Amino acid sequence: MFERTLNVFWIVLGASSAVYAWSLGMIGPAGPESGLFPFIASIIVSGAGIVLLLRPATHARALDFPQGGSLWRVLGVILGLIVMAVGMPYLGFSVTSFITMIILLRTVDRSSWISAVTLAFISTASVFWLFGQMLGMALPRGPWGW
Amino acid sequence: MMEALNGLLSGFGVILTPANLYLCFLGSLIGTLVGVLPGVGPLAALALLLPVTFTLSPIGGMVMLASIFYGAMYGGSTTSILLNIPGEAASVVTCIDGHQMARQGRAGPALGIAAIGSFIAGTLGVVIMTFFAPAIAAAAIRFGPPENFALMVLGLICTLFMISGSTIKGVLMIALGFLTATVGLDVVNGRERYTFSSVDLSGGIELLALVIGLFGVAEILSNVETMAKTTLLADRIRGLWPSLADWHASWRAILRGSGLGFVLGLVPGGGPVTAAFMSYALEKRIAAQPDRFGKGAIEGVAGPESANNSAVAGSLIPVLSLGIPSNPVTALLLGALIIQGIQPGPLFIAQRPDLFWGIVASMYIGNVFLLLLNLPLVGLWVQFLRIPYRVMFPVVLLLCVVGTYSANKNVFDLWVMLGFGVTGYVLRKLEYDLAPFVIAFVLAPLLEQSLRQSLVMSSDGAMILIKRPVTALLLAASVALTFLMFRRRTKTEGGLP
Repeated sequence: MFERTLNVFWIVLGASSAVYAWSLGMIGPAGPESGLFPFIASIIVSGAGIVLLLRPATHARALDFPQGGSLWRVLGVILGLIVMAVGMPYLGFSVTSFITMIILLRTVDRSSWISAVTLAFISTASVFWLFGQMLGMALPRGPWGW
Repeated sequence: MMEALNGLLSGFGVILTPANLYLCFLGSLIGTLVGVLPGVGPLAALALLLPVTFTLSPIGGMVMLASIFYGAMYGGSTTSILLNIPGEAASVVTCIDGHQMARQGRAGPALGIAAIGSFIAGTLGVVIMTFFAPAIAAAAIRFGPPENFALMVLGLICTLFMISGSTIKGVLMIALGFLTATVGLDVVNGRERYTFSSVDLSGGIELLALVIGLFGVAEILSNVETMAKTTLLADRIRGLWPSLADWHASWRAILRGSGLGFVLGLVPGGGPVTAAFMSYALEKRIAAQPDRFGKGAIEGVAGPESANNSAVAGSLIPVLSLGIPSNPVTALLLGALIIQGIQPGPLFIAQRPDLFWGIVASMYIGNVFLLLLNLPLVGLWVQFLRIPYRVMFPVVLLLCVVGTYSANKNVFDLWVMLGFGVTGYVLRKLEYDLAPFVIAFVLAPLLEQSLRQSLVMSSDGAMILIKRPVTALLLAASVALTFLMFRRRTKTEGGLP
């Protein structure tokens, strides 16, 4: 069922993208316009979606969604990355990484608080030292200057 | 011939500086580590370290990235042989006989023949590359936009031919790669495409965010789903040097693997993974006692390990001499060169001989570094396997964030990475091959430019693609290959491909 829905999504995506590409123009007086190449790609996306949708039912795979502990681990990683993306501009790299690491180690690994905090501190400090100090990368800093 | 040798000598002149030697060694070291550790592939490692190369000279950066690529091929065998877990995809097939040898107490000779075979094949591959790449570039220098367009189309069709899953899904991935690449400003007229008035999207989708998401984050999501709370351990290894009987059984497999790997590396869609599998199949087919395979046959280690190393040299030829990547790793290398302001292609060797010959020379030296790193220091790499994945993955995730952010210093790229990570995770579950997507994403700007230039220079519209003999030949080959591919898939799958 999931794959069938995805195939419909490909068709809709390709069709709407083709309509948009058409509005950009196909061929003008100076040659091909901005819309030609994406239009061709969109038509292929839609066409492939139609072929996949028309395949016999045996070809459509059921998505093996993670369940129970597996689901929590996958969601923990996604949550950790969301925290990084939301927190980094305000809290800086070090603090956000530290918080993310604790989330990951607690939700994914089920580490104890002591080992989660210790490991989060060591890994964050190591990455910050390596990239921020040794390699001179400009990592975002928080209101505390680090 | 003499020109190539002179070029190679000048390449050694470029590479034999303390800074470049250090970067070559560092890349070999990181590559081996990446190969040894399961769950961190060479593509993700290259993507993570790409921003580091922005601060280096183009030659230093490329030497380091290339050495990570071939270093991973060396290191991958260690985990396959000792633990029956492939360190990276090209070492999957090494598990079959390599681990059986380890269970029979012959881990040493298995590791030894893998490292020595890799060294021989890697060096042979670079020797052929030394003479072959300039010849290809010299032939391709006469190519105009229509020929380039047809060549890229053929490359993409070859990619489809080599993928393991559904061809239609592969076609869809290529088209999606094209569409994703068109997000941003049209380089010809500055018009916005698919940006939805977003400032963040007007610069286009960042290659690093896309690759790290699809191959780094998606890999982590897959791994944590099935993560077991175990630490990988391996027994002590003794006697790395293969016996005379081992040599007798292996040397032909090493040479065959070297040749096969090189050829398959050249073919778009080929590369180290395909080369290793094909080599194993070949060795098994021609063996006097094929039933030995799967029970610890040393040829089953020597052939594939040689093939995947030789394929690295082969796969660098199309990207450096034609500007066409044959797999996602070389697509990323192409991206790295473009970011440095260098456009690989037929003129690359003539315009940047220092860079081309420097990379080639570094591969000779890198192979020596890798032999030294992988034989005497194998015990050290085994110690790394004691780090549990549950401890390792949060650090890898942090590296993904740093790698993505550092490209543009833009938090928006982290959302792009997360989006592609989740998408890649779901698509992999549904057996979509992501390699054609990345190759198409990198090739799209070049392909679109060639198509538009071809149509502008033509008085008969698209007929220019048929009227020029080389273009017509390449497109005819694409059509023939497409026909063969659909026929083969329809036969084997008994339905739509």
